[in-house]
Amino acid sequence: MKQESEWEPKLLGFLCRWCSYAGADLAGTSRKKYPANIRIIKVPCSGRVDSLFILKALRLGFDGVLVSGCHPGDCHYQTGNYRARRRIAITKRFLEYLGVEPQRLQASWVSASEGGKFSEVVTDVTQGLKEVGPNQLFERKKNGAKAKAGSKGTA
Amino acid sequence: MEQKLRQEAKALLEQGKVDWIIGFAPGSLKFTTTPLITQDKDDAEQLVINPFITNNLANFLTEIKGRVGIVAKGCESRSIVSLIQDNKVARENLVILAVPCPGIIDLAKIERLVGKDRDELDDITRDGDRVSVKVDGKKKEFPIAQVLFDHCLACELPTPQEYDIILGEPRLPAPELKVSGQSIASLKEMTPAERWASWENELSRCIRCYACRNVCPACFCQRCFVEETEPQWTLPMPHWQDNLIFQIIRNIHVAGRCTDCGECERVCPVNIPLRSLTREMYDIVGELFQFKSGMDKDALPLMVHYEQEEAEDFFR
Repeated sequence: MKQESEWEPKLLGFLCRWCSYAGADLAGTSRKKYPANIRIIKVPCSGRVDSLFILKALRLGFDGVLVSGCHPGDCHYQTGNYRARRRIAITKRFLEYLGVEPQRLQASWVSASEGGKFSEVVTDVTQGLKEVGPNQLFERKKNGAKAKAGSKGTA
Repeated sequence: MEQKLRQEAKALLEQGKVDWIIGFAPGSLKFTTTPLITQDKDDAEQLVINPFITNNLANFLTEIKGRVGIVAKGCESRSIVSLIQDNKVARENLVILAVPCPGIIDLAKIERLVGKDRDELDDITRDGDRVSVKVDGKKKEFPIAQVLFDHCLACELPTPQEYDIILGEPRLPAPELKVSGQSIASLKEMTPAERWASWENELSRCIRCYACRNVCPACFCQRCFVEETEPQWTLPMPHWQDNLIFQIIRNIHVAGRCTDCGECERVCPVNIPLRSLTREMYDIVGELFQFKSGMDKDALPLMVHYEQEEAEDFFR
């Protein structure tokens, strides 16, 4: 019980190199506050984010995944974020159908000038994750007896 | 119909219009059929069309070089069109022999209804919308909706749209047979946690034989992500977690290619209801992008195309 009150969600962010990552930088340089729950991976484009990355992150025990890229029309590679949008849309809908809470996969468009928006998005997403609680999707319940004892779980 | 198919197939091979014929031949077990892939014109005599031609023959197209004459039911034709969209096969290399399909009989359902193994049945005949099974000298009749495969009951295209030679009269989908989505509807009534638990339960049976992948015409990757070792995305051991990730990613990979032909569910040796996954993905793609796989050979594949404004609602 004591642990529960201290629990902080772990959020994995895939930020596009051209917009959202620079947006996160701007949030930093303009001293905007955002939760330290996010771990950021820089990707060349939001179109680089494979659905496998999202599943792997959830499998490793991240409580949520945020994919963020340039606004539609602003992609450095012209069409990367449009493709990301289709892929993430079907991934999100499919995961929800399977029973993953919708809060666990989030997406946003954050441009390089939107430091404020970035901090808002991360705050929001983190808040959402706090509401749904820890990710226990892939915890061992059935297979093997290792169940609760060695829940080293996360990355 | 069968005679016409044999003549046409033989003629195609004789005239050199195709190098290969892909069709169905009688299987080694009662009531079964097996895919026949041949270059020999005499083999054309073995070709059959009956209510048991289950396989999706489009699966073999990506492995065969040269011009191919292929027997196609509605579902095959959609898979073929999908392969054409993806540039996996060229339309000019194909001669499609269209079979207007009245639905395929699921032997497992008959076994369950009759309570006997398929070896013990004497005969199964179809007459319109009744199927009669002869067993121990007695005749039992069933309405067709009870014995067809689930995916046949939800069939949207019994007669191929894309074909060169048609064998028999075109058929329209029978609206009264549409009963698909029953298990999906019951899944959707559950809470998310219950749904996830039910998938955990189903997928813990999976033995990772990859039959679902190997039988799928839409799964044509040279190297599958589950076999990659650097990085190793999933463990090769059949833990339910990795089994589930395999199925999720497989469904995402074939989104917009999957025509809901139901082969994955049919071949599953541990009876995982895989069509509850494929059908839902098919519906999601239809709802979000108004995309129906395998209908228009000139359409761009789902993940190649995009619209300026679509599927925006969940983006912050």
